[in-house]
Amino acid sequence: MSTRRKSSSSQQSALLRSPRMLLALIVAVAILVAALMVVLSQLGGAGGGSSASREDVGKLYSGIPQNGTTLGKDDAPVTIYLYEDFQCPICGQFSRKTFPEVVERSVRGGKVRVVSEPLTFIGPDSVPAARAALAAGEQDRYWPYAQLLFENQGKENSGYVTDEFLKSQAQDTPGLDVGEWSSDLKRSSVTKQLQAAQARAQSAGVNATPTLIFSGPGGQTKLVGLYDYEQVSQAIAQVD
Amino acid sequence: MRGKRRGLQFVIGALAVVGLLISGYLTWVHYAGVAPVCVGGSGGCETVQTSSYATILGVPVAALGLVGYSGLLLSAFLRGEAGVYLGLLVALVGTLFSAYLTYLELFVIHAICEWCVASAALMVAALICTALGAWQLAKAP
Repeated sequence: MSTRRKSSSSQQSALLRSPRMLLALIVAVAILVAALMVVLSQLGGAGGGSSASREDVGKLYSGIPQNGTTLGKDDAPVTIYLYEDFQCPICGQFSRKTFPEVVERSVRGGKVRVVSEPLTFIGPDSVPAARAALAAGEQDRYWPYAQLLFENQGKENSGYVTDEFLKSQAQDTPGLDVGEWSSDLKRSSVTKQLQAAQARAQSAGVNATPTLIFSGPGGQTKLVGLYDYEQVSQAIAQVD
Repeated sequence: MRGKRRGLQFVIGALAVVGLLISGYLTWVHYAGVAPVCVGGSGGCETVQTSSYATILGVPVAALGLVGYSGLLLSAFLRGEAGVYLGLLVALVGTLFSAYLTYLELFVIHAICEWCVASAALMVAALICTALGAWQLAKAP
């Protein structure tokens, strides 16, 4: 028994001593480890991070005037025209990481108002997402709805923008009448608003999202891509 | 033969040190919450670094790079077969995972981070060196 065990273990070590076997083993282990890392990475990526609660979104926009796609006081000296696509991952990051600070530090105090221009060039699913946000805008709830769309954003063109997904965001939007929102979704006024936003993007030369155009008494400036609050605040100061 | 091995080990060690500097910088950027310096100012590095793929189970991908390059550096100092095989294993995992990350940058995140591209190139170079080392070892009598 013990001699058999000895001979089988010596066979094993002889196999391991063969460079070819060792190389094959290393390649197999490397593929396994890399595959495991890819799977774990995909699990994290698909999750899209933490989702904001109804309370968080309600708190962010509470007490700030909203009128359709405009957020902030009408007499604010600086206006930011925010061109975004609800499927665009960078817009999602901007909305989650930078925008809440812009709202708290610049919009709430009345210095800045923000006008959203929803664009639809990432793919066909961008259209129903933008329409859904504009329909919420009919009840002046565009901003919390848009925030929820970004908080719960999936991978672009993956088909996550379903009717159920859009309805569930509507149900989570504080103060939104979901029945009215459903009927507003089909309105031609929503289509017209969406077309107008695309036309304004074209005439402003916007070809990437997010694009922020800052307009104020000091002139105009533009930021394209992901920026932090400090950079946004510098652009605001530049046109103020 | 031994001189060639030494030369390869030196190159692998040098690649590992550069890789450690890059992944160390990106790990620091992650925890400090600052935007990485990006060549050309395109903002691509920040987009990639802040994407949902930048961490695995809460661990920044850059920190995984630190572990990988440390293993590579260790392999450059180890003598004999152990060093060659450890280096090959690390470089192979690193290259495969870098290929996946480059795919994410190009087709999913739609932003390029020059630091990540540089790290991927380092890993490919390390794979070539470690494969040469393994080949020399297999050829040796």
